[in-house]
Amino acid sequence: MKIAQEIRAGNVIMQGGNPWVVLKTEYARGGRNAATVRMKLKSLLNNQGTEIVFKADDKMDQIVLDKKDCTYSYFADPMYVWMDTEYNQYEVEKENMGDALNYLEEGMPAEVVFYEGKAISVELATSVEREITWTEPAVKGDTSGKVLKPAKIATGFEIGVPIFVAQGDKVEIDTRTGEYRRRV
Amino acid sequence: MLWDIFCKVIDNHGDIGVCWRLAAELARRGERVRLRVDDSSALAWMAPHGQPGVEVMPWSPEPGPGDAVIEAFGCELPPAFQAELAALARARGRQPAWINLEYLTAESFAERSHGLPSPVMSGPAAGLTKRFFYPGFTASTGGLLREQDLARRQAAFDSAAWLQRMGLQRGSERLVSLFCYEPPGLEPWLRQLADAETPTRLLVTAGRAASAVRAALERLPPSPQLRVSWLPLLAQSEFDHLLWSCDANFVRGEDSLVRALWAGRPFVWQIYPQHDDAHHAKLRAFLDWMQAPSGLRRFHEAWSGVGGELPVFDSAAWTDSVSAARARLLAQDELASQLLGFVADFRP
Repeated sequence: MKIAQEIRAGNVIMQGGNPWVVLKTEYARGGRNAATVRMKLKSLLNNQGTEIVFKADDKMDQIVLDKKDCTYSYFADPMYVWMDTEYNQYEVEKENMGDALNYLEEGMPAEVVFYEGKAISVELATSVEREITWTEPAVKGDTSGKVLKPAKIATGFEIGVPIFVAQGDKVEIDTRTGEYRRRV
Repeated sequence: MLWDIFCKVIDNHGDIGVCWRLAAELARRGERVRLRVDDSSALAWMAPHGQPGVEVMPWSPEPGPGDAVIEAFGCELPPAFQAELAALARARGRQPAWINLEYLTAESFAERSHGLPSPVMSGPAAGLTKRFFYPGFTASTGGLLREQDLARRQAAFDSAAWLQRMGLQRGSERLVSLFCYEPPGLEPWLRQLADAETPTRLLVTAGRAASAVRAALERLPPSPQLRVSWLPLLAQSEFDHLLWSCDANFVRGEDSLVRALWAGRPFVWQIYPQHDDAHHAKLRAFLDWMQAPSGLRRFHEAWSGVGGELPVFDSAAWTDSVSAARARLLAQDELASQLLGFVADFRP
């Protein structure tokens, strides 16, 4: 069993006796150091969507499915095409791409997840390195990393970065939370 | 309906304060409530007269569930009680309402998560579903606790008589109440008051606030501009009277923030500090919702140690934003009504 906090976009969980693919997770810190995880799910049986929420330490069953290491190849509307090391191509629907869309770039590695032979989602590494394509000019002084300013990466995805980070810097981003980790 | 509210006292009595207020309000609306708490000692001064319809009980799985269960602030229900819930669901063909009442926050995730189901996937109640209920400041959340007779009580309140009863008199000095933890901005603020043209009478609540003020005053020279009155532990109703009697209020945590909003006087809120600094975002989200003017925002941030120097304490300049925030809240459904609507489908 896993706890809710460990479940990530691309995972498949059993709920009500049915398999659901996790399209998106939102981790939120509550009061008194508690936390919750909101999940957007899609049924693998009928494509029906739903949203649920858990305490971060709630236990649940994750279904272990077949996965393949792939790299992102190209977009063939409405499908995102991934390729394995033997040049086999797999199409993943846009809504099943989850948080991968925030960091998508050609050649990006990820695990493509299969259910009954069909590619149903992608699982990212827990962190990625991306260049900051836009942010306000860097400010020297506060190096604590607690004071954040908005910044964007090439996909347009916005993250909060410390004020000393400048445009053109490479940063490490935690794909589970969408948060800045460190400057590379 | 028969409600079971489970509450664990972690520290400072904030949890039991919110749970008592909710239990009492549900009872005033004709519901029967069993408040199951692991430490009910604070209720002796917080609610000395109790409330018909509310039974305070120890934290225990016995007796079994009624029609609706609230686990306050994510506390884990006793396993035996969870098993009873599951048995009841099997016997009735449907489960009692099971609600996780979350902490109050102005962050946007509260709107996104309010009302969502939470399937129980492990333990004795596996197969049942809880629902998350988020109090909040917008129409997309569960709202804030507000008694149905609050406006009438406020209109009928005689602050001069209440102050006299407390051994205080309203003179030319500014009256300010103080309920806080140990805010980083406390000492600079006391210095400000001591040097201010307008004299201030500080009404300090018992407990951590009093200890913090006493420690700070030891480091400050006495000043005729700042006089301090030490208050006893106050019942919730008396705390409201304190807020309604003062020109400005300093509050902390969840329950007293809501009461300060209803009081409608300028206030400063010390948010509960968290080790991972999660309270920084929570405070800023609240100030954003409040549309706080710059001075009030900077004062809050310095007061809670989130950043910056403490600006001038200019409570008169904050009146309009507090009034506007209160008016926005009054136009929304309050928490008890929303909660009753939430469980309507579970009525026997």
